[in-house]
Amino acid sequence: MSAKVKTMDRKGASFQERLYLIEIFKGMATTFGHFLRNLLDNKKLYVRHYPEVQPEIPVRWRGRHRLTTHADGTVKCVACFMCQTNCPANCIIIEAGERLDGKTEKMPVKFNIDLLECIYCGYCVEACPLDAIRMDTGIFSVTDNNRESFVLSLPELLATPGAFSEEDYKKGGA
Amino acid sequence: MFAEALFFGFAVLSVLGAIGLVLFRHPMNGAMSLVVTMISLAGLYALLSAKLIFALQLIVYAGAIMSLVLFIIMFLNIQDSDLPTEKGRWLYQLGGIIVILPIASFLIKIVKSIPGSEATIVGSGFGGVKEVGLVLFQDWLLPFEIVSILLLVALVGAVVLAGKRRMGK
Amino acid sequence: MSLLDIFMFVARVAFAAFVPLCFIAVCVWMERRGAGYFQDRSGPNRAHIFGFRAAGLVQNLADAAKLFFKEDVISGHIEHKFYFVLAPVIVFFTALVSFAVVPFADTLVLGGKSYIMQGIPLDLGILWFLSFVGFGVYGIILAGWSSTNKFGVLGALRSAAQVISYEIPMGLAIVSLLVVYGTVNLNEIAQFQGKLLFGFIPMWGAVLQPLAMVIFIIAAFAETNRTPFDLAEGESELVAGFHVEYSAMKFAIFFMGEYVAMFASSAMIVTLFFGGYQIPFLSTATLISQAKPVAFLLMVIIPVVMYFFTGWVRRSNVSHYPRENDPRVFEATVYIKCFWGLVIILEVLLLAILFSTSGGATAHIFVVLLQVCTFLLKITMMIFVYIWVRWTLPRFRYDQLQKLGWQMLLPLALLNIFITSAFVVALS
Repeated sequence: MSAKVKTMDRKGASFQERLYLIEIFKGMATTFGHFLRNLLDNKKLYVRHYPEVQPEIPVRWRGRHRLTTHADGTVKCVACFMCQTNCPANCIIIEAGERLDGKTEKMPVKFNIDLLECIYCGYCVEACPLDAIRMDTGIFSVTDNNRESFVLSLPELLATPGAFSEEDYKKGGA
Repeated sequence: MFAEALFFGFAVLSVLGAIGLVLFRHPMNGAMSLVVTMISLAGLYALLSAKLIFALQLIVYAGAIMSLVLFIIMFLNIQDSDLPTEKGRWLYQLGGIIVILPIASFLIKIVKSIPGSEATIVGSGFGGVKEVGLVLFQDWLLPFEIVSILLLVALVGAVVLAGKRRMGK
Repeated sequence: MSLLDIFMFVARVAFAAFVPLCFIAVCVWMERRGAGYFQDRSGPNRAHIFGFRAAGLVQNLADAAKLFFKEDVISGHIEHKFYFVLAPVIVFFTALVSFAVVPFADTLVLGGKSYIMQGIPLDLGILWFLSFVGFGVYGIILAGWSSTNKFGVLGALRSAAQVISYEIPMGLAIVSLLVVYGTVNLNEIAQFQGKLLFGFIPMWGAVLQPLAMVIFIIAAFAETNRTPFDLAEGESELVAGFHVEYSAMKFAIFFMGEYVAMFASSAMIVTLFFGGYQIPFLSTATLISQAKPVAFLLMVIIPVVMYFFTGWVRRSNVSHYPRENDPRVFEATVYIKCFWGLVIILEVLLLAILFSTSGGATAHIFVVLLQVCTFLLKITMMIFVYIWVRWTLPRFRYDQLQKLGWQMLLPLALLNIFITSAFVVALS
């Protein structure tokens, strides 16, 4: 199958277009239409009144990370280092330790994510074999006034709940 | 009284600007002092009620020509290290002063012999656009046209000279 | 010198000096709100004092306060600190002074004496404007050069070359105008435009000299470094152009100078091409003799206009999301009350005119005030055109800009001079 080639007409060569002023007036008419419409009724502005009106976050939106837990509240992560190896920004730092509750053999003792380094690519979520790390918190704005507080530690990651129900998350294609 | 004070102010400024042009080492300072001279000359013209000349001095000399000069100085971006070392600069200046002194004293004598008169601003009409235009295009038409042809020649010459170098390359 | 003489002198100088300064706030506000509405967004609507945001005007106050209290940095690498400080002053001052010869009302005759309504009573008119526009280049050159910064120098080079080359078509467009008007005095030019062509078209420069108008307006856009000719401060390539190194108040003075220049050149365009202070179809003499009917008409029109305006304020000044006891409704109510108070004051003043002696001093002053309002309204509309063009057209490329100036506008302006002169000679 040969590729479809669509030849676009080259604009701007006709006498009317080369006069330039007529085209300028056409453009100005367009912008003035927008101006007038918004001036007469500013409900028609295409803007959301953030922060009073928050945006709707879709399920597949990659927000801040969280670590998921088993039904009994213990961490799912087995410290396999898949996410850390995969991370292109090198923002995940894991320290593994022995797990004594019999669920698995290994668990993270330290799990730090530096949000200032993170590029929110979602590779860690893709790489995780146990669905232990997710980016479904719906948090899109992380602010603080010192650098240290941007490094998330294990308890913080575990404490944040997901913003969506399990079915919605699964439907989202994760 | 007021006009007198203005006259002295402008006169002193124009002389200071000229001195600055000669004495400043950095070309930008020199050019700026020339601008001061030009503007104070325009003020002197205004005191003589020559309104048109005042405006032309501001537009052409102080405005257009000097801004071109500044433009080129900026373009070349001359640093202090680019300037030539002038040995015996003060000697030259001293020599110049000695040469000029007799001429200057002669000129001062001439100026003193001119009968003094009060500097007054002549009422409307004198020195305006219409009056100068009428004089220029009725009494002095031929010299005016000759001067404009001279300017045209200079213009064509500039274009030819600029074009020649491009062809040579 | 009577007390009245001194008062008129102070009034006209104050008008020429302070109205451009006040219009800076209006211009900045129009630019921001206008830009917002042109681009389907809202513009500044958050900054407020006790909940009163004055449609975004409070944002200007906030900006001014910020710029005023910022640290005024002069970098260590700047050698010529004197020129560095001098440059913004030149830009601002020349822009302000160039407005001084523009008449904002017809000559006021009071008690047999006539008072010229312009900042400096000088009949050089256009020549004065041209000379001070030329001086503005010094500020730009000195700013760029003394910044010792490659972006600054490049921006200044572009800007200076642009201003110098667009001064020529501008001057030539003015020449053909002078042929028509036969004077350089702006007051006489404005009086000339009060006449009617064929008895029903106002004899405005825009009607008599459409080509010169187009050339002059394009050149004026280039002279004030406004889009589409603002490549001196092309953000993507030059950061900010000649004022990269400036901060705090020195930057603010550049910023204000730009808007004052916009105001002054709008005033010039209005005076040269759109009848200056003249109200179309109503010359000064007609207005003075018919002061009472005009005042009565205004008494009727102002409340009607205000009724629709307050309706618009009521509709626009609400929060666009569910909110209990919307404070913006209260805000709108206060505004509407203020506006109606203003209307009542105006009505009382107009009523006083209705009961004054016809053709007396009151009528003269009334006409002057009407003409000042007309003039400012026309200038505001011209400033709106500046803003409108800015948010419509993309920036020119530098060679296209110079090509347009030298290869299109210059020959067109010359052609216009020839045609105009031929017409004037044939008709006279």
